[in-house]
Amino acid sequence: MVAKLVRFLGSIQLAVPVLGAIASILIWATFYESKVGSLAVQQQIYKSPWFGALMFLLAVNLGVSTLSRYPWRGARKVGFALTHLGLIVLIAGSAAVIHLGVEGLLLVRTDQPANHLVRVEGELLEVMDDQGQVQQAAVMVKPGQVISPHQFAGLTLLDYSDNSVETVDYRAGDATDSPAVRLVLSSDRMGQTFDQWLSPTAETVDLGPAQLELRQAENQTDLQQLLADPAQTQAHPSGTLLIKLGDANTSLAIDDLRRHDAVINDIQVHLLNVWPDFRLDDQNQPITASQDWQNPALEIEVTQADLQERWFVFAQAGPILAGDESLLDLDWEYQVPPPPASDYFRVVVANQNLYYAARSSKSFTSGPLVMDQMIQPGWADFKITLADWLPHGKRIQERLTTPPGMEGVPALQVASADGQQWLTWGESTLIADGSHPKMAAFGPRMLALPFRVGLDDFIVERNEGSDSVAMWTSQIRIEDLQGESAQRRSVWMNHPTWYQGWKIAQASWNPGDLNQSTLQVKREPLWVTALTWNGALLTVLGIGVMFYGPTLFKKRATALERPNEPIAAKPAPMPLAPQDG
Amino acid sequence: MNQLKFLWGLCLACVLMVTPSSQWQPPAQTAVDTLAVQLDGRKKPLDTVARETVTTIHGASRYQLASGDVLDAPQTYWSLWLNSRDWNDEPFILVNYRPLKAQLGLPLEQKHFSFSTLINSDLGLILQQAHTKQLQEQPLTRDEREALTLEDRLNLMLDTVGSQTLPLVPHPMDIKGTWVGIADAEQLYPPEMAAKIQTQFEQLNQQYQAQGDDLESLAEPAALLQQSLADLSPEIYPAMATLQREAFFNHFHPFGKAWKLYGIAFLVLLTSQLVPSFNLYWTGMGTFLGGILVQALGFGLRMQIAGRPPVTNMYESVVWVGFGIAALAFYFELQTRARSYLLAAAPLAVVCLLLADSLPAVLDPSIEPLVPVLRDNFWLSIHVPTITLSYASFALAMGLGHLALMQYWRQPQGGSTATALSRLNTRVIQVGILLLTTGIILGGIWAHFSWGRFWGWDPKETWALIALLCYLAPVHGRLAGWLGQFGMNVASVLGFNAVLMAWYGVNFVLGTGLHSYGFGTGGSAVLIAGLVGMDSLFVLATILRYRSQQHRSASSSVSEVQTADA
Repeated sequence: MVAKLVRFLGSIQLAVPVLGAIASILIWATFYESKVGSLAVQQQIYKSPWFGALMFLLAVNLGVSTLSRYPWRGARKVGFALTHLGLIVLIAGSAAVIHLGVEGLLLVRTDQPANHLVRVEGELLEVMDDQGQVQQAAVMVKPGQVISPHQFAGLTLLDYSDNSVETVDYRAGDATDSPAVRLVLSSDRMGQTFDQWLSPTAETVDLGPAQLELRQAENQTDLQQLLADPAQTQAHPSGTLLIKLGDANTSLAIDDLRRHDAVINDIQVHLLNVWPDFRLDDQNQPITASQDWQNPALEIEVTQADLQERWFVFAQAGPILAGDESLLDLDWEYQVPPPPASDYFRVVVANQNLYYAARSSKSFTSGPLVMDQMIQPGWADFKITLADWLPHGKRIQERLTTPPGMEGVPALQVASADGQQWLTWGESTLIADGSHPKMAAFGPRMLALPFRVGLDDFIVERNEGSDSVAMWTSQIRIEDLQGESAQRRSVWMNHPTWYQGWKIAQASWNPGDLNQSTLQVKREPLWVTALTWNGALLTVLGIGVMFYGPTLFKKRATALERPNEPIAAKPAPMPLAPQDG
Repeated sequence: MNQLKFLWGLCLACVLMVTPSSQWQPPAQTAVDTLAVQLDGRKKPLDTVARETVTTIHGASRYQLASGDVLDAPQTYWSLWLNSRDWNDEPFILVNYRPLKAQLGLPLEQKHFSFSTLINSDLGLILQQAHTKQLQEQPLTRDEREALTLEDRLNLMLDTVGSQTLPLVPHPMDIKGTWVGIADAEQLYPPEMAAKIQTQFEQLNQQYQAQGDDLESLAEPAALLQQSLADLSPEIYPAMATLQREAFFNHFHPFGKAWKLYGIAFLVLLTSQLVPSFNLYWTGMGTFLGGILVQALGFGLRMQIAGRPPVTNMYESVVWVGFGIAALAFYFELQTRARSYLLAAAPLAVVCLLLADSLPAVLDPSIEPLVPVLRDNFWLSIHVPTITLSYASFALAMGLGHLALMQYWRQPQGGSTATALSRLNTRVIQVGILLLTTGIILGGIWAHFSWGRFWGWDPKETWALIALLCYLAPVHGRLAGWLGQFGMNVASVLGFNAVLMAWYGVNFVLGTGLHSYGFGTGGSAVLIAGLVGMDSLFVLATILRYRSQQHRSASSSVSEVQTADA
């Protein structure tokens, strides 16, 4: 029985169907690839276990057939053995190339320091459970489909969109849900109409010059404050100055500093000027452009014994010393609350009733808000209408594929015990998942190299008298991670460089930005390369010996006695028009 | 005696090559042809520019005027360049895609249209749509792609007619510096030097306007202008021998001569087979060798002109396969004297070279600088010729397969001729298998250097492997006894479809993958599919006839046995 099986495994009756099956699958795969792209085909076919098994079966067939014909006497049999053994080595080597090689793209720029993070094919899903345990998985995706894996860290991976936007909708929910309103905004002059949901749990909606928000008032005072005209309320606070003296921090209110100087240890701090909106005028003199707190700055004089220094401290840009070098060990920080939005439309919920406050640079209105009431907040010709009000609104998040021409982001849809959720590319998201909340992050899959690569120069050579590119060359600098040593190399098309077993090659470039170059970084174990090359050599040698060895070694007589002898035809003239035809 | 006949055939080929008839040998080139131009990334003679421009716009190298007179490519180009006709209204621009013609409201049967007709059509709207799509990186429809090709033709027309900027004036010191037009010579040279060549050019122009299309009369003023241009920058201006070599290559058109010689050799060999008493076998061999030599000369010249390996694009691969078929067949014929190889090879070589000659829009013969990925590369010069030689072997096997199947059609029970042809066929398939395996492996080694991996299932790689499997499976099937000689012949014909797919289909049908430098905008797919379909029908018919004959002989042998038993 075993002998029979072994004979079948090494038989030509198995070889032909296997060859035919492989050829048919490959034909189908190439057509499928032109529809779905190479990433999907690589994962679903070429790297799949069943295709691997088929190739393994071929290798077994080759191996058993070769061994069962031992001893290999004569050039033909030697050639046969070499070819078949070579093919086994070649199949093993090629499989190792595909499965064991590490490969990625490294972006380097002349105006940035050396980089050691390589972008590897596929994305990365990182999940941290409530115990703080982090799990990572490579995710292969294409638009509309997750190729692999389908399950990871208790999550089911459902869908992927490469260019999507998030939309939020609200439906009537239960008593635990917050209120939600839907406003319709329209402008005839701009030819625009759009609607917007607001909820107190969601962020303020920023429309550029104006903001929309929904607030809940706990009591009457709260309501009055929320509906009050901000112009009537007290002036904007001037903020605080934080002084760092050695390790000690001291906080000083500007309003106090205006009244009297402060003394910290033996240093006297004197406030010279406050500019809510700092600018330089035509004579390069500091002035304030407005009373809006857009760019607040202070001028301060500090004195210690006979040392005196003058500082400008900006809330946004930090401190600048007026002079050459500071002799005092000082650092400053100016903290001012941001200016309120000048234009806003605020909906306030109080006691199951709705109110609104609308502010523009010109006017302020407020009052009760009812369904289908139309309000003109004074922003150009915009009109705002209340279209929906849910005292308890349940938030429904959806992901839509972005229409052509609009910018979206990739997103991955996952399902947990609590339902489905989209993970936006490059952001971490909290997943409720029953009693085991998780943090999940979906982003690029990167690999850290044991060295850094920097771009010294990127040279684009053009064909003479033309804009077409003749060659592009990256002059790179390879540094060790400690930054102690650096080697300079050049890589260009078909001329990679090797460093510590890694191959660095020119991959692509950006015609619009010649400070940038993309390098392919690749490593495969040396034995894998040796395997494929030796297999290749054996195969070619074997075919040559098998077909032409008998003739070369003058063993034609032996060859002619073979039963299936199609090889060496006896040279004989053959009339095309035979007399018997 | 045979040697004499062989030499006679070779001499016949040589005579045919140099005979100064208008068909075989156009007039010798003058300065009109060899004025150097820096265009599309290299320096070339004006003759090449003329041929490339006319072929690109018109789709053929000759233009028939409304009067019935025919202009050749240089005459047409000079007329365009020096604006001696109303090119706005000459129906000169090729539009060969019927759906586009229908969309533009143009007569479907007409192939060429005037500039004004096209500009006044709705082409602008289609182009606008195509450009918007290109900006948004959306896929284009076939109509839009064809419209963009047509836009290129219109732009080339605009650039050519009355051009003042044709870069004829060499850069003073930089070998790769940008050349300028005659009118802009002051940008590179002092006014008095610029004025000299401008005057000489004006004289040339006046002579042309006076003499019409007789370019030979321009030889003298053109030579004076060329000398002045060369004197401006003797170090930069290409050597006269280089320019003359390329102009000679264009005029001599070795690949065009080769197919004629193969064709004649085929007729001679066929005659010698059909009428054995003529015994023209060796004469045919000599003529065939003449074809191989002239094609080899063509490759030698083309390699010198382009400064790179022989096979770098689809056009060159088609010509190279034609050459491979002829050379392999000749080698086997010399070895075996089987009298069948050349009969199978000659029609295939003729088809390859004719295709390369007659489809300039699909198989572009112009010599252009290589894309960076193919440049500076040792592996390109061995991987591609090896793999295309294997295609040539399989093509030859396909030819022999056809001859054998024809024999089976005549004599379904087989016969000595069919058996002999089948054996020859197997030998050629073996060469193909060895070359294809070697070629795939060389490609893997190149890919190891260039893309960092030996094997990556790129569609071109995969199809080369599929083609190999399509031959390996029947070869093993033959060893298993599942296929006989007839089956091997069928396999050699059908297997070639896989080669066609690997060679042509991946680039034009699938259009994906890393080998994109060979890709182009389709064309002739329907024609090729039609030919393949018809051929498959022939194979099917032969199989049916063969099987019914086998069935009949089997049943007759059974009845003979039964009769004997009775």
